[in-house]
Amino acid sequence: MRTIDDFTRPLEYVSPMDGLLGSIFRDWVEREVMPYRRRFDEDYRDHRLIHPPFKKLLGEYGLQRMIFPEDLGGWGMGRSNYMCTAAFRMFEEIARADTGMALAFGALFWPFLFIALEPHENRRLLEEFAPMFCETTEAVFAALCMTEPQGGSDIENIEIVKGSTIRTTAVLDGDEWVINGHKLWPSNTGGLAKLMAVVCTTNPGSDDPRDIAVIYVTSDTPGVTQGPPYEKAGMAADMNSDVWFENVRVPSWYRACGPGDDAKYFGEIMSTGNMGIIAWISGAMMNIYERLTEFVNRKKFRGLPLKENDAVAGVLADFAAHIEAIRIVGYQCARMCDRHDLYGPLWDPGLVAKTRAQRYLAMDRFIEVTGRVMNLMECFGADRDWDVEKHWRDLKILQLVEGSKQLCQIETARWFYECTTL
Amino acid sequence: MNDLELFPYPKNRLQKTDLDLAASLQDLVQKEIVDKRLELKEDYQGLLRPNLDKLLVEVGLQRMFWPEDLGGEEHNGPEAAYTVAAALEQVGRADTGLAYLAAHNLALQAALAMRENLDREACARFAPLFCDGRGPMIVSFILPVFGEDEKAPAWRGKSFQVKARSASGGWVLEGKGIRPTCSGADATLFGAWCAVEGEEAPAFILVPGDAPGLSRGPEFKKTGLAASRNADLDLSGVEVPAENCLFRGDLEYRRLLSWFYLGITATTVGGLLAAYQILKEWGDNRVIKGTGNIFKENPLTGALMGEIAQDISMSRLLAYDLAGMLADPSSFGDAGSDMVYTSALMIVHQVLATAERALHRTMELMASAGYAKEWQLERYWRDLKTVQCYVGSHELAKHDFSRWFYGARTL
Repeated sequence: MRTIDDFTRPLEYVSPMDGLLGSIFRDWVEREVMPYRRRFDEDYRDHRLIHPPFKKLLGEYGLQRMIFPEDLGGWGMGRSNYMCTAAFRMFEEIARADTGMALAFGALFWPFLFIALEPHENRRLLEEFAPMFCETTEAVFAALCMTEPQGGSDIENIEIVKGSTIRTTAVLDGDEWVINGHKLWPSNTGGLAKLMAVVCTTNPGSDDPRDIAVIYVTSDTPGVTQGPPYEKAGMAADMNSDVWFENVRVPSWYRACGPGDDAKYFGEIMSTGNMGIIAWISGAMMNIYERLTEFVNRKKFRGLPLKENDAVAGVLADFAAHIEAIRIVGYQCARMCDRHDLYGPLWDPGLVAKTRAQRYLAMDRFIEVTGRVMNLMECFGADRDWDVEKHWRDLKILQLVEGSKQLCQIETARWFYECTTL
Repeated sequence: MNDLELFPYPKNRLQKTDLDLAASLQDLVQKEIVDKRLELKEDYQGLLRPNLDKLLVEVGLQRMFWPEDLGGEEHNGPEAAYTVAAALEQVGRADTGLAYLAAHNLALQAALAMRENLDREACARFAPLFCDGRGPMIVSFILPVFGEDEKAPAWRGKSFQVKARSASGGWVLEGKGIRPTCSGADATLFGAWCAVEGEEAPAFILVPGDAPGLSRGPEFKKTGLAASRNADLDLSGVEVPAENCLFRGDLEYRRLLSWFYLGITATTVGGLLAAYQILKEWGDNRVIKGTGNIFKENPLTGALMGEIAQDISMSRLLAYDLAGMLADPSSFGDAGSDMVYTSALMIVHQVLATAERALHRTMELMASAGYAKEWQLERYWRDLKTVQCYVGSHELAKHDFSRWFYGARTL
């Protein structure tokens, strides 16, 4: 009997840890997530069901440590050349059960990309924050605070806007930054985040990238307020809220990389985010394949399993073909993010544009074929117990994370066609 | 100009009473549903159920077709198709789920009380349930689905969910794990297309929601349509009088479905019009900071908004085209004829697929506001996808199209 493991995984690309990570995550998903996930939607506010599996994965298994250097108690993946291919496998396995969990897991590491990757590792900040994540068996979450009320995803459009729309300000007062502003939508907020990386401007209205500052703030710092979680169409495990910063004071050395470099390395968030989204699509499709296979074997049409009808088989084939293609594109994307010697640095605008293109293509294809699968399943396609509709809802949200589809299109066109006014 | 009037429809073919009904429904749903949505969201007890009562009982949608002497409005000529379209797009704009429930109710009325095919006896039996003002008649259908028993009797390849046998002047009905089209948890009347033991012709039989032997499972969770509290059913030796069988033929069954698809098409257009209004507010006020453009003035987003408006406009025209076909049997044939039924099926699938695309794109344009419950858009996206699933597989519906257009015999 065919399984999800019969889909092609490009073996030339996989990380040395792929098999081990795959089995750990598969086992965790089956035992800790699958039995509960159909009740996650109603758990969006409290995470009573969602938090225990995170505690096991992040705290007890120690996955929250993986990006930190080994000498600080981490696994040293930030210094490896397989961080993204390894992450692809982990993301895919989690997303098979729940894309919201996969996003929350991935977003936990975004704030650390600025300080944990070569060649811009910030040792002092790593030493400062590593104990929070590496010396506990509790799940600890971090958040990257980007989006603002007035600009939506404009901040993510950093190449053209160059930070000029950022309203969250950071003013140097002696040896402290004073931060004021209002952020929307960061993953892992709503009270979850213990540490935040906040995208600020040191000179409001400026389009000089040197005025973009990424500054770390622990959530217990006076003046930080996380609002209640938003209610969304899905993705309950990805908790989001408003976050307010009112005269928040942190040491001056809490800035990630410094003038110019904070903006430059922001591209790493986009590249890895795009890679992650393809992995989450791939994982969700694996689970849809599993549930769809059960459906078309169990359900009958004209006295035969549904899958034996030629017209139905056409839809099934399209779905399988898309899994094959999306997974291969995803691994290629991860490889491009890992191998700077072959594909250039992770923050390079060309890499950002290419991963944007791969991501939005994969997502468009997912939405189309999964919509057809739901329709094929008729009334059962909208049924929570068959799981497909959950993935359909969750991934639509994922399509719009880190900027809308149109932003992806603009960035892709801008790079490939050298557009100058978009 | 009322922004809903931007999307053309054959206003000249609607009667003044249709336009008045649409206008009063527009006001009513705005006040009672749209304006309260942010506070009440999709709360069934607080928002949806009270408005189901208002629409079906107070406004009187559930009395529309029945003869006057039985308490109805006797608006039961084929031109009522326009009334159904005009009413349900207004209700659908406020809440797709409520309109979906009303579509069931109106389709059953059309099947029973349409002037040309009026079944006087059946009307006399069932009209009081709809016209006595006691409460809303929540009508649900039990139609063939993909079953799990390969030997189960089937209609066009799908398994009947209910088996009926004639016994002592009535019918005895059996079925397990039945998935109705809506409201399994609280429907007051089910219309089941049943396989009949020992006979080839199926039977459409009405089953009261309180019939002994009918048991309801727990309400299950689904993508959308909060107004439809659905649950699976078991029928165990349910006995109903012989008169509860409304018809035995495919023609009458297709007639019911044609009217049902009209209701769903209009419901879908209503959802699209709601999405238009939400996106318009967004496009009028949102500024793209990088360029300083108002959202609708950006060439890319403006073009996409234009495409969405095109989709809505074409869908509305198709809905009224279908109403026009049902309203004029002398030109197009009976609502149950192959041509009208096939057209209705094509139109409902076309409009639902168009709606899916338009809602996806509207969400994309609104980004996080598209999926945040606060902005109210995502519920239409979930609702209309759920409706599409319940209407059935487009892939297999194409076989119906091929049967009509190419004379395919074995599909």
